[in-house]
Amino acid sequence: MGVRVKTGHTLLAAALGLGMAFGAQAGKYPDITSLPDLKINAAKAELGKRLFFDRRISGDAGIACSDCHKPENGYAHPDALSPGYPGNGHFRNSPSVINAVHKKVWMHDGRLGTNLNDVTREMLTEDYIMNMDMRVMQERAKQDPKYVQMFKDAGYGEPSNGSIRKAIPEYLKTLTSVNAPIDTGKMSASAKRGQKLFEGKAGCIQCHNGPLATDGKAYNTGVPENFDIFLDPMNHHAFIAFAMFQGIEDYMNLKRDPGYYNITMDAADTGRFVTPSLRELKYSAPYMHNGMIKSLYDVVGFYNRGGGKDSRKDSRLKPLKLGKQDIKDLVAFLESMSGDPLTSGQHVWKDPYPAEYPVIENWTQVKN
Amino acid sequence: MSNVIQTPTLLAAAITTALLAGCAGQATSESTAAPAAEKSMAAAPMAMAGPAPLAPLGEPPIPPDNLQSPAKIELGKILFFDPRLGGDASTGCSTCHEPDQGWAWAEDFSRGYPGTVHWRNSQTIINSAYFPRQFWAGSASSNESQARGAARGGVAGNGEADIMEARLRVIPEYVERFREAFGTQWPIVRDAWRAIASFERTLVQRDTPLDKYLLGDKSALDADQLKGKEIFEGKGGCIQCHNGAITSDQDFHNIGIPPNKRWEEDGLAQITFRFEQYAKGQTQEGYRKAKSDWGFYYRSKNAWDKGKFRTAPLRYLKYTAPYMHNGVFYTLEEVVDFYDRGGFDEDGRTTLFPENKSSLIKPLGLTDDEKGALIAFLESMSGEEMLMDKPAMPEYAPLFTLAELEAAQEAK
Ligand code: HEC
Ligand code: HEC
Ligand code: HEC
Ligand code: HEC
Repeated sequence: MGVRVKTGHTLLAAALGLGMAFGAQAGKYPDITSLPDLKINAAKAELGKRLFFDRRISGDAGIACSDCHKPENGYAHPDALSPGYPGNGHFRNSPSVINAVHKKVWMHDGRLGTNLNDVTREMLTEDYIMNMDMRVMQERAKQDPKYVQMFKDAGYGEPSNGSIRKAIPEYLKTLTSVNAPIDTGKMSASAKRGQKLFEGKAGCIQCHNGPLATDGKAYNTGVPENFDIFLDPMNHHAFIAFAMFQGIEDYMNLKRDPGYYNITMDAADTGRFVTPSLRELKYSAPYMHNGMIKSLYDVVGFYNRGGGKDSRKDSRLKPLKLGKQDIKDLVAFLESMSGDPLTSGQHVWKDPYPAEYPVIENWTQVKN
Repeated sequence: MSNVIQTPTLLAAAITTALLAGCAGQATSESTAAPAAEKSMAAAPMAMAGPAPLAPLGEPPIPPDNLQSPAKIELGKILFFDPRLGGDASTGCSTCHEPDQGWAWAEDFSRGYPGTVHWRNSQTIINSAYFPRQFWAGSASSNESQARGAARGGVAGNGEADIMEARLRVIPEYVERFREAFGTQWPIVRDAWRAIASFERTLVQRDTPLDKYLLGDKSALDADQLKGKEIFEGKGGCIQCHNGAITSDQDFHNIGIPPNKRWEEDGLAQITFRFEQYAKGQTQEGYRKAKSDWGFYYRSKNAWDKGKFRTAPLRYLKYTAPYMHNGVFYTLEEVVDFYDRGGFDEDGRTTLFPENKSSLIKPLGLTDDEKGALIAFLESMSGEEMLMDKPAMPEYAPLFTLAELEAAQEAK
């Protein structure tokens, strides 16, 4: 895939371009091109689809992937802070999983850099996400004849937690941008002007580049803290558990999300978050790791002011002096990176799930 | 049965308690001597003088590293009733150990964590403080390690230590109470198990008719019960296993309990059944073919331990139906009939491991009168019902004020 080849180049370019005045920067950074096509195994993806919408793969059978990654919200969640597993809150915004398959690092702080199988495992087992004992999950799947058939059809044999963690990523491959103007070339005049600003005067391309409009690196843009993390004890306890697990010192006194600091434990990285993809934003408001910015207008306004307030803010962010029309154009460009909604039966599992697990007949005679 | 064999087991159990109270041991080595014991029991003549006699219940043992204190006990009581000590904040200890259901759960299988059902009967908390081996198959060694296991198990509390600890810390009343009880700045989840264990050590019953009788009040048992006692210690042979003050030798026996039919009829129960095979470390082959609870085998991995369970204590039985590890009997009548038939239920069903069945279990030839007397005696091991109101639950509250958060924001 193209991005990977260009990454080294990006690093170098970014390093050289650090103090550079805004100018024609297109060409120094990978273009926002179409996404590469993927080979998808239909039977596996279909199985993954049923799993993604199934609440029974959470500990108390109360929450599905799709409850936090909702189709009508671009597979993100409309609340600033994601819901949590029942009895818990959360401390970050639930990101869109459209195009997640094209990423190399996941989570707002970039703490997962292996593959979607690992991300899926984290989602399933994390206490405040789905709290699933995967052995229970596997046995539930075995008790549902429809799953037994689908696993077989997918070539996995008998349902197992290992193949569940393969089938879901296969389904995630089907969640990619469809008919986005930036890919079809059918961009409005305003969007085209916006793209010029994006790649030029506004300097967005320095971090938002490549097919996903992200360089996959972490920066401090000075997004204000979301105080609801701390004012709502349910969110706060999830945050405490997270910070404790990450091994952050003095986690009881933390009053901010440390971001990329989790990974490096270098104070300089406090408040840095991974540049998100800018695709499918039309559906995935609110924005930023903690949902603090409500609309794309507000995001552009934020950058126009030179980002937020933070002593460690990235030096690339400076007041942009964009006019009203510039702002509209930038928003139009951002919107041109969103395609058709993925809300039809092609992407969404619409059949009901059985209310009860059928009994395995002749139980004493058959092998478990 | 020979006392010589019994003694080392008891001694070992005593040492184990002393060592393991407070730590989460899952010892697997004990009772490899069991088959030898069982064999010699079989060989020994049916002399009733051997087993420890029934005795009045003394004070519960208190581990030196978790002494009782009023602050701890009160804290443990609140925690015991707090559903936030489970994964989705719905399932605490009292959810499955309801005071008005005998501090147990009045169905064959315990209710489970939401979305699941358990696979064993919920045991009473009353007098659990005395048991060196906890659970039906004796897999926990103290109230402390038991509580930790219960809060976490996939079909029990399903809560992880870190999330539960974090929850306790955003409940200011708990922060205060843990500080008072343990002297820590912030609650530590291990101390929650210690507090609960301290609370459980207050849930004891020492004034049953049997205790009073054994302490010298000869009018405490009526004639029927006295006749029952004689059968218990004689013709019925119960005392061979149900002996001493806690009415249990704390050893493991296969008495012939048949599998619960619910596993043939209930999809949810089938899921848990297979899960438990995994969770308890079955081999692939064992997982495929198991059709009943293999009991002590999961720990010892000795074929001769399949279907063995800890001798269940008989105190407080009046309130804890149904009976046995899988709750197959709903009344004491059914239990006594089962023993009278030599370990068969009314349909003639027995353990799937008859080769391991204790030779002490054999047809008893009890008359209806004798059965009635035996039941009356069993009931004399229960005193008044011990009820308790659920304490008020302390509430969540933010740890920081808005002003503090704003100041931190300004400073960043
Ligand atoms: C309780 C809400 C919730 C549920 C349920 C949930 N997620 Fe998430 N998901 C989140 C949040 C919040 C994040 C971001 C976490 C972070 O940055 O720390 C996330 C992140 C992700 C990411 C990484 C996205 C990126 O671009 O970095 C993927 C992929 C993902 N989830 C997939 C899934 C799948 C698959 C499931 C079901 C197995 C699932 N999620 C269930 C809330 C949820
Ligand atoms: C220094 C690198 C950098 C530059 C330059 C930059 N961004 Fe960002 N952008 C980020 C990072 C990092 C985030 C995530 C911040 C967070 O979550 O707290 C982000 C988030 C966003 C988001 C929110 C996306 C979402 O899903 O929540 C939008 C929209 C966005 N940027 C647009 C722009 C635009 C338009 C420009 C140019 C005006 C721009 N960015 C310039 C790094 C940058
Ligand atoms: C979902 C139901 C459930 C929950 C929740 C639960 N228990 Fe239990 N408890 C059981 C069952 C079932 C058993 C028997 C388990 C076995 O033998 O495998 C048991 C056994 C016990 C025993 C052993 C008694 C004996 O005679 O050996 C104690 C003590 C106990 N539980 C205490 C607790 C405490 C303390 C908590 C809370 C931290 C708790 N339980 C939570 C169902 C539950
Ligand atoms: C060989 C040892 C042994 C003998 C003899 C024995 N029992 Fe038991 N008893 C056990 C064991 C072991 C259990 C637990 C079995 C299980 O759950 O599978 C038990 C369970 C019980 C229970 C159920 C307790 C509960 O909480 O569910 C009762 C009641 C009982 N026995 C009464 C008796 C009576 C009455 C006799 C004499 C007629 C007797 N037992 C003889 C070992 C014995």
